[in-house]
Amino acid sequence: MLTRKLSPLQMAIMAAALAVVLFPVFWILMTSIKPPTDWNASPAIWVPTKPTLVNFKTLFDPDALREYGVGGVSQSATKAVLGSLLASLVATALSVAIGLLAAIGISRYGNGSKATPLIILSGRMFPPAAIAVPFVIIFSSIGLTDSYVGLIAIYVAATLPFSTWMLKSFVDDLPREIEEAAMIDGLSRLRAHLTVTIPLIRGGLFATTMFIFILNWSEFMFALVLAYSNISTIPVQLAKYVTATAGTLYGVQAALAVLAMVPLVIVGYLIQSHLARGMTFGAIKQ
Amino acid sequence: MEVKNGKIRKVCDTYDAGGMSRRSFLKKMTALGVTALIANAVSLSPLGAAKAFAAITGPEERAWELAKVAAAKATRKTLTLLIPTGSIGNMTPYVDKWKNELGITLEFIEEPDEVVHTKGMQEAVAKTGRYDVMMPTAMSYPDWIDSGVIYDLTDWTEKHQPDLFDKQWGVVFPASHHAQLYNGRVAGLLNDGDQITLLCRGDYLSDPAKAKAFEDKYGYKLAVPKTWKEYFTLAQFMHDPAKGFYGSLEYRSPYYVKWMFMQRLVSKGRLYFDQDVNPTFNSEEGVAALEDMLAMNPYLHPDAFNFTWSSNYNAFGRGEGFMNIVWPSGFKYSMNPATGPATAGKIAPTVMPADTTKDGTLLYAGMFCWGYGYAVSKYSANPELAYAYAQWMTSPTISADAIPYLGGYSDPYRVNHMLEPTKRLVDTYTLPYLKTLYENIVNTVPDFCVPGGFEYQDALDKQVHACMTGEKKPKEALEAAAHAFERITRRIGKDKVKKSWLALTKNLAEPIKKASGADKWS
Repeated sequence: MLTRKLSPLQMAIMAAALAVVLFPVFWILMTSIKPPTDWNASPAIWVPTKPTLVNFKTLFDPDALREYGVGGVSQSATKAVLGSLLASLVATALSVAIGLLAAIGISRYGNGSKATPLIILSGRMFPPAAIAVPFVIIFSSIGLTDSYVGLIAIYVAATLPFSTWMLKSFVDDLPREIEEAAMIDGLSRLRAHLTVTIPLIRGGLFATTMFIFILNWSEFMFALVLAYSNISTIPVQLAKYVTATAGTLYGVQAALAVLAMVPLVIVGYLIQSHLARGMTFGAIKQ
Repeated sequence: MEVKNGKIRKVCDTYDAGGMSRRSFLKKMTALGVTALIANAVSLSPLGAAKAFAAITGPEERAWELAKVAAAKATRKTLTLLIPTGSIGNMTPYVDKWKNELGITLEFIEEPDEVVHTKGMQEAVAKTGRYDVMMPTAMSYPDWIDSGVIYDLTDWTEKHQPDLFDKQWGVVFPASHHAQLYNGRVAGLLNDGDQITLLCRGDYLSDPAKAKAFEDKYGYKLAVPKTWKEYFTLAQFMHDPAKGFYGSLEYRSPYYVKWMFMQRLVSKGRLYFDQDVNPTFNSEEGVAALEDMLAMNPYLHPDAFNFTWSSNYNAFGRGEGFMNIVWPSGFKYSMNPATGPATAGKIAPTVMPADTTKDGTLLYAGMFCWGYGYAVSKYSANPELAYAYAQWMTSPTISADAIPYLGGYSDPYRVNHMLEPTKRLVDTYTLPYLKTLYENIVNTVPDFCVPGGFEYQDALDKQVHACMTGEKKPKEALEAAAHAFERITRRIGKDKVKKSWLALTKNLAEPIKKASGADKWS
């Protein structure tokens, strides 16, 4: 790895860039531990003098803010957190699994025509707002509105083009001779892909999984139109923290946002080495 | 006798404080030898004054009878309501009653308020039947009725008499018509008196040094403004940015700014359309309204361009301005020490200022904007029960009880809420403010409660905002908005919009009707 010491100017630029990138995270973290009196304080309170966990408590106990005179929070975030986890995990697993099969099929065997990848991508060419209502109409006729099955189905459909294209690029960059050598050694096609192709594109697979998970985790539009009362997700729940007595509950929103960041940070940390490899995989074309 | 009177007083106080249901109150009063009729009168009349008020309970009782019959017939024992987030506090106190006495579970589906209209339109095509009662703003009714997602309630209202237009306890005219009817038919039952009024800092007005300085400078007494000109002068006089105190907190932010324009426009005697639904705001009155707003900009709070209602209320409550244009909830905020630490007990409310029309007369015109109401879904499994709920909740008596509960958007809208208030209403709003609300609401003009209303208001808002930020000159901005209006009208159908507009303007307050010429429209 190339290492060199940064000049003071470069350090300053780096620090400025970090400040810009990290400021929203800092602000959300600070807001999440502010009492309601500090949410809208003017001038703004950067670091609360009396930090509190009441915003986090409110997520699971809607009456917790009453000690500050804020009533009217009616929903616990439990359903939204569990709903987001369920929908995102299942949809990501399905999207990556199907995308991987499609990627190998297209890359190695030329399945379909040359237009197949473009046809798959065409699903992403419509803005979500344009296809959300048709989805609702179709789903309501088959009883899939307000259900996690319906939400997962939409998430898979929406992210499959990304997973297919991303994974295809990783498979394309892996020399097919390696798989052929494994087959000459007696492995079946399936076995060769399972034991050779997939382990070798592991970095790309992790990067793709992470990317698809982030897409599903932060999705708002489809969850909003499909959800009635049985299902919920974190982005939809975030929009609901408004009360007549205190307006927008910035602290509670920030607490939920912090909570929403946790899985991404943990997973990102655990697979960071694979991510770095996945991001650069295929950077140099052969 | 004194002991008995003391007991009666105690029961009355407990009831007024919300510590007893009306049924328990009536039982206890009867036990104390007070007839139910007198008990009703005592419970509902202002501050216990002895005014016979028995008939006022009619809409509630008729709705309850209907609810009992409909609940017994209902196969689905849950009534589902689509409501905006933040509004549930006015409804939850009655959940147990509906469950225990009717066997009906009230289920609330909360959606962000800006999504409720879209959810209704979505239901029009998806037809899921998930909602029984829907709570949109008045502007949703035309599109929702036309798309067939909600019932026309007229037949039910004729049969069950919710007393919508009663002189003593009906919904105050003209909101009674603007916020409930579409093309003359009842589309929804109003449950929220969303009018905007002006709040001033009473402590500044009563400061002798300020009063003298003001009178010396301007030659008239320091008081709440009666006209937009006085409003401007007061903002200029009180503006003290060095101390973080600004003349006014009037909105300049997207989405809110159109209302600031609309009220000024109408108080100059101009409506938004003429009788053939050609836009009329791109007139000299419209330009003058925008110029007035531009002139105010230097005396506004620096966050005026970013305010939402909650950040606006909070800034005023912190004592950062002399005047604020607010919905009734803003008054509650500023009177509550928790949300109005600098304003509690220091507010002087007044009606929206007047402007001078071409013939020199003063014209008062406020805005009745937003205003939630109950509508009944066409796809409800129990539409009669849904209607019964709407009538019961908005009846003169139950609504007077529901409005003061915290955690809801509902504000006074019936005559009795303002002119014959219960003690809890007085405790929540104060008598002077309730009087102000009444004096203001009688001169209000509606939102764009016509087909495509949301599109019209968005088009206007965009251009007014562009003008306020200096991106466009007043005339240029209004011409652009007028072009957008013409396109929207063409697409929706001129006849359809015109029919609705004429029905709407037929019920304007007389002075506004006369000044705008709408009294001659056919």
